[in-house]
Amino acid sequence: MRSLNSLQFNRTTRARFVWLVSQKLKSAGSHVGLAALILTFVLVGTVSAQHRISLSGDVQAKISYCKDCHGVSAQGFNGYYPIPRLAGQQPEYIENQLRAFIEHRRTNNIMFNVAHSLSPAMINALTAHFASLNPPPIGGAPRQLVATGRKIFEDGMPEVNIAACAACHGPEATGSGQIPRLAGQLYPYMIKTLGSWDKERGRNPTVPDAAAIMSPVAHSLNKSQIEAVAAFVSTLRSPRGTPNAVQ
Amino acid sequence: MKPMNFRRPQGQHKSTFRSPAGTALILPAAVLALSFSSPAAAQGNVSKAEADAKLRYCEVCHGVSAQGFHGYYPIPRLAGQPTEYLKNQLQAFVEHRRTSNIMFNVGHVLSPAMIDALTTDFNQLNPKPLGGAPKENIDEGKNIFENGVAAANVPACASCHGPQAKGNGPFPRLAGQLYDYLTAKLTNWDKERGQNPSSPDTSAVMQPIAHSLTQPQIKAVAAYLSYLE
Repeated sequence: MRSLNSLQFNRTTRARFVWLVSQKLKSAGSHVGLAALILTFVLVGTVSAQHRISLSGDVQAKISYCKDCHGVSAQGFNGYYPIPRLAGQQPEYIENQLRAFIEHRRTNNIMFNVAHSLSPAMINALTAHFASLNPPPIGGAPRQLVATGRKIFEDGMPEVNIAACAACHGPEATGSGQIPRLAGQLYPYMIKTLGSWDKERGRNPTVPDAAAIMSPVAHSLNKSQIEAVAAFVSTLRSPRGTPNAVQ
Repeated sequence: MKPMNFRRPQGQHKSTFRSPAGTALILPAAVLALSFSSPAAAQGNVSKAEADAKLRYCEVCHGVSAQGFHGYYPIPRLAGQPTEYLKNQLQAFVEHRRTSNIMFNVGHVLSPAMIDALTTDFNQLNPKPLGGAPKENIDEGKNIFENGVAAANVPACASCHGPQAKGNGPFPRLAGQLYDYLTAKLTNWDKERGQNPSSPDTSAVMQPIAHSLTQPQIKAVAAYLSYLE
């Protein structure tokens, strides 16, 4: 829905801009004006399509389709379910999750249907695109939980055998390879996922996967600890040096 | 070479290891045992359930069989490591001789009895190496490991770490250690080890060696070791 609105908005804005320029040029009434009008069309088109230059129509269409639910900049979206942020996500992680949906290692009927029609080439194109995006987090988590969450994230709670999240997810929660980025992830999505880990992940006993690593961690965190960590990571902006998104 | 102190911090446990509330009952008995080197007495004071829970916690980051893991950082293999080396490193984290914020937090809540139980368990594990290192310089690495680099005053690694790199006492096992972990350690030795000048330690032994090795030599040795079973 959001992405549709945004597309319409962009189209309307562009048309209005072109119309204004053409009116101006008409009133000048010159051939130069006509040439400038054509140039304007070309320029406006180029700017708005800047990040699509290397993307084929099929890939572009699929990206728009993903963003219908995952947000216009893949920053995540609160639909009926909290729909996770994909922006800045590790390509290897996304690829692994898509495969997990197909192999019923991760249970989600909607994402099974989404994933099983994707070709490997399409998956490569999508994961590279999402990794390159960097919109600010959606936010909205209770601020008062952030400090506790940061402590758990950075230090863990050794007394009760909770490992520091930062050891695997990185000090700025950017993830690495098969380990997901958590920075900017949706607060309700984090809570849901940590709260029902074993019901959603590692569901195919014949294909054990990396979800097993998080299982004891998710279990050992209580509800308020989960909320605190979720609040912390949901506010994290991308670190310096991450490529800027074209939104 | 700097004089070294092979630390066996007898009787220091009370001040250096804090005990969480849950293990309050263990501590007095552990202090009575007084030493890391009486595992039988100390181990009796950590329940199997507690030790297992702590082991699972370690394995979250160090891999399910402690074979090492690629998290955000390369996280070292602990399997097959000599108990004395593991104890010394845990102590080093707690005393800020070795810098790692995460491992400081992990280390400073472990009771001596728990450390005995954990290090004994890790020492007994023997999973296959993770592998994954480039293979083209393995022969060169083997040569450096076994013979050193005489021209650069690098002694044979095998003379301390053993011909099969299994380590011994304070000398760590290197067989099966992660390629990128070994590379990072040898490259940054002085930034991570021997960081507390008032408490010199065995890391001083490796210091000149790490310095003398070139980057390609470090990578060759690391690749060789990372495949050793």
